[in-house]
Amino acid sequence: MVRQSRAAILPTNVILLQNLVKRDPLSYREEFLQQYSHYESLRDIFMLKALEAQTTGDTNTKQFVELVGFVSQVCSCYPEETANFPNELKQLILDYHRSLPFEVREKIVSSLTMLRNKGVISAETLIQTMFPLLVAYSSQSNSLGHNSHAKEIRKLVYSTIISLLKSCNIGSKNQKLNKSTQAICFNLLDQPDSQGVWAARLTRELWRRGIWDDSRAVEIMTQAALNDDVKIAYSGALFFLGADKEREENFEEKSDDEDVDMEGLKHKMQINKKSGKRGKKLEAALKSVKKKSAAPKTPQGYLNFSAIHLLRDPQGFADKLFSKQLSSKNNNKFNLDQKIALMQLLSRLIGTHKLTVLGIYSYFLKYLTPKQRDVTKILAAAAQSSHDMVPPETIADLVRKIADEFVSDGVASEVAAAGLNTIREICSRAPLAIDETLLQDLTEYKGSKAKGVSMAAKGLVALYREVAPDMLKRKDRGKVASMELQESAREGRVSKRPQFGVENTTQGIAGIELLAQWKKKQQDADGQDVDENDDQNWEVEEEDNEEEDIEGEWVTVESDKEYDVDMSDSDDEKEKPKEEEEKIDPETAFRDLASSRVLTPADFAKLQELKTEQGVARLMGVRNEETVDSDRLVGPLKHRKATKDERIASIMEGREGREKFASRKSKRDEQRSTTNREKERKKNFVMMIHKRSVKGKQKMSLRDRQKVLRQHITKQKKKGH
Amino acid sequence: MSKISSTQIRDNVKEVLKFSNETKKRNFLETVELQVGLKNYDPQRDKRFSGTLKLPQCPRPNLSICIFGDAFDVDRAKSVGVDAMSVDDLKKLNKNKKLIKKLAKKYSAFVASEVLIKQVPRLLGPQLSKAGKFPTPVSHNEDLYAKVTDVKSTIRFQLKKVLCLAVAVGNIEMDEDTLVNQILMSVNFLVSLLKKNWQNVGSLVIKSTMGPPFRLY
Repeated sequence: MVRQSRAAILPTNVILLQNLVKRDPLSYREEFLQQYSHYESLRDIFMLKALEAQTTGDTNTKQFVELVGFVSQVCSCYPEETANFPNELKQLILDYHRSLPFEVREKIVSSLTMLRNKGVISAETLIQTMFPLLVAYSSQSNSLGHNSHAKEIRKLVYSTIISLLKSCNIGSKNQKLNKSTQAICFNLLDQPDSQGVWAARLTRELWRRGIWDDSRAVEIMTQAALNDDVKIAYSGALFFLGADKEREENFEEKSDDEDVDMEGLKHKMQINKKSGKRGKKLEAALKSVKKKSAAPKTPQGYLNFSAIHLLRDPQGFADKLFSKQLSSKNNNKFNLDQKIALMQLLSRLIGTHKLTVLGIYSYFLKYLTPKQRDVTKILAAAAQSSHDMVPPETIADLVRKIADEFVSDGVASEVAAAGLNTIREICSRAPLAIDETLLQDLTEYKGSKAKGVSMAAKGLVALYREVAPDMLKRKDRGKVASMELQESAREGRVSKRPQFGVENTTQGIAGIELLAQWKKKQQDADGQDVDENDDQNWEVEEEDNEEEDIEGEWVTVESDKEYDVDMSDSDDEKEKPKEEEEKIDPETAFRDLASSRVLTPADFAKLQELKTEQGVARLMGVRNEETVDSDRLVGPLKHRKATKDERIASIMEGREGREKFASRKSKRDEQRSTTNREKERKKNFVMMIHKRSVKGKQKMSLRDRQKVLRQHITKQKKKGH
Repeated sequence: MSKISSTQIRDNVKEVLKFSNETKKRNFLETVELQVGLKNYDPQRDKRFSGTLKLPQCPRPNLSICIFGDAFDVDRAKSVGVDAMSVDDLKKLNKNKKLIKKLAKKYSAFVASEVLIKQVPRLLGPQLSKAGKFPTPVSHNEDLYAKVTDVKSTIRFQLKKVLCLAVAVGNIEMDEDTLVNQILMSVNFLVSLLKKNWQNVGSLVIKSTMGPPFRLY
């Protein structure tokens, strides 16, 4: 009986049929075929109506949506009958999407995604279907009329693409799919109408999620940055400036929320009823925790390079960017923010890869005035773009201009501080960019009353004490530097001023002569050479290694190390190497010591110790990708104008502990109705004025009035007023 | 392996020399190179070191060098027997990318007179520094010949994006002692460049151009 009734409703109840078909495809084949033919006829109707630009009825639409869902659900059960189904859907959405109702479009998109998940169609096909839709519904080509739901469709398609790429790249990267998608992106960027925004947006999103991190993705963004369209070029520039930070933040967030609460689980296991399921859960959690702790946070060999480092041809990119976007007539189409973003990108490229784009320095000149809006950003860009491989004269112009415009007596102290700080940043990258007279002029500001200015000037002095002390005035040189200068003058050496073309790299081991001296003394005292084979001298390393394994990160254990060494040769009396004793030239020391034996970790530890004793430890080398923070350039300010957020924060602070301004009635502790007394008091005066009780008061005799007043007074007194 | 000693190095050097000079002699001068694998180093975060070291003996005597010089230096270069180019020669290249690339390919290092070096970026553009062959300056009162051998025997350790690097430290015609010396010097120097000294060293390997590698550390 039941079976019969079920058979009777099957043609109309698709959901039920779907369930049955999935359980037993063979026996329900007839029913499926019936539905399939229904679907086919409806599809033809839709196509025909679409051609004649008619609207289809509501019931038809509903049925069609239902059937599309049904067929795509079960089509894996009948692969032969539905071989053509995916293609039909694809064709339908691609050719007739303009005239199809919104529900149908949505259903087809989700059905296609489902078919991909079931493995009926490949990911490539889905991508190839989705991209044209994305383009068709983008806001620029929105001639589709009001009822097209362009925004919803766009959102749907976009998220479909992202999740598809994400799911395909879990585990190992699906290079084939990535490549084909990237090829589509390249094509989009080539098209004249500004559809490239989608390529840029998609790439940025995928970069943020760490799904694409290769140089091809970066190449897409270089194409975007070089695009004619303002929006696309801007988004390309922003990608290089900010995407890596975004990616890092994204990963940090992720790693935070993945933690499993082991303690909690164990506790639950003790208290709650022990069951097999719970035990298994605990085991699984334990396994995952172990796995996580065993795997290094970033796998060895996997390097997260920033987009700027992954560029294939940085020089070519920078050249093109400058000539195409900034220098030519084109640059009028950008507004100031966009121009600044481009300048920042270009300067970061130049600074990171040490490129030569000589035009940019004169380009900066135009913008370097104190009145310029956002000048600190431009100053930061100017500082970033200078490095030691640029001819010094080119940068010298820049420095001269900044000094003239920003650092003079007539300007506000913040301006002067910004100028001085910028000059210091430039000179720390290209020490030759300033001449002696200008430098000495600028260092005069160290006596300025404004704190920011004097700090900036002192920073400049400190920089040149290290780089080229002889360019400073005698009194500014400082003890260490002037002693060194004197010494070199006595020995007849040429002072080592930085020279153009000589990269500042480390040469030789700093302080090796001290080590040689120390060794010699040890030998004299001990009578035997400390051998490199001695296990003790390699021990330092191992101990440190253990510590490292525990911590899993770099730990500076400088003091510990020294201590260890002291222990190992504790029997010797320790003297500091005296200055008067025979001096060993660093070069010969290096040759003698370094070429005869391997320096052990203990040796290096000793070297470090001796160096700190001598005070020769200096900051060496360069940081990796240096960026200049534009906010830091201004220096400390006494009365800075607060930003809106800060103002609001301070307002909120003032309001703390104060009730919100609103009717008290709504904030009564206890919900109750008003009492009669309250009602009486609140009642409108005009309604009360003619009442006898009120009028009677005016007609009262003097005596009665006095009586009432007396009563009132005593009453108040009793109340304590 | 936790440690390394000079006797170990000596043994390995013997092996290298034996293979290249006796087992299978080649028709050219094989170079001995030191290959280094680093560990616990993140080239993205930690600073990338770069250092130059002058070895007592030139590891690759056949390096070709070109001198960009004013009239004085061009004359000196001729007397020393090194290729030289004057400013006019450089101007003739006309900033032509292909020609400059060709020039950069032809020579393995460049030297320029002090007066000229500032013009080099303008004259030749970025191509030279892109190839890592930006000229070293030489002044008039320096001995040009000494400078050229200096440049030839200077080796450079520079960490790029990957965690391995290789430098030429000698050739197979050197005797064992010098080779051991050179290797020791460069190893010591390299280790001194690293942030955590020996803890950053993953492996040290020496090999001749055509020979098998020998692991030191």
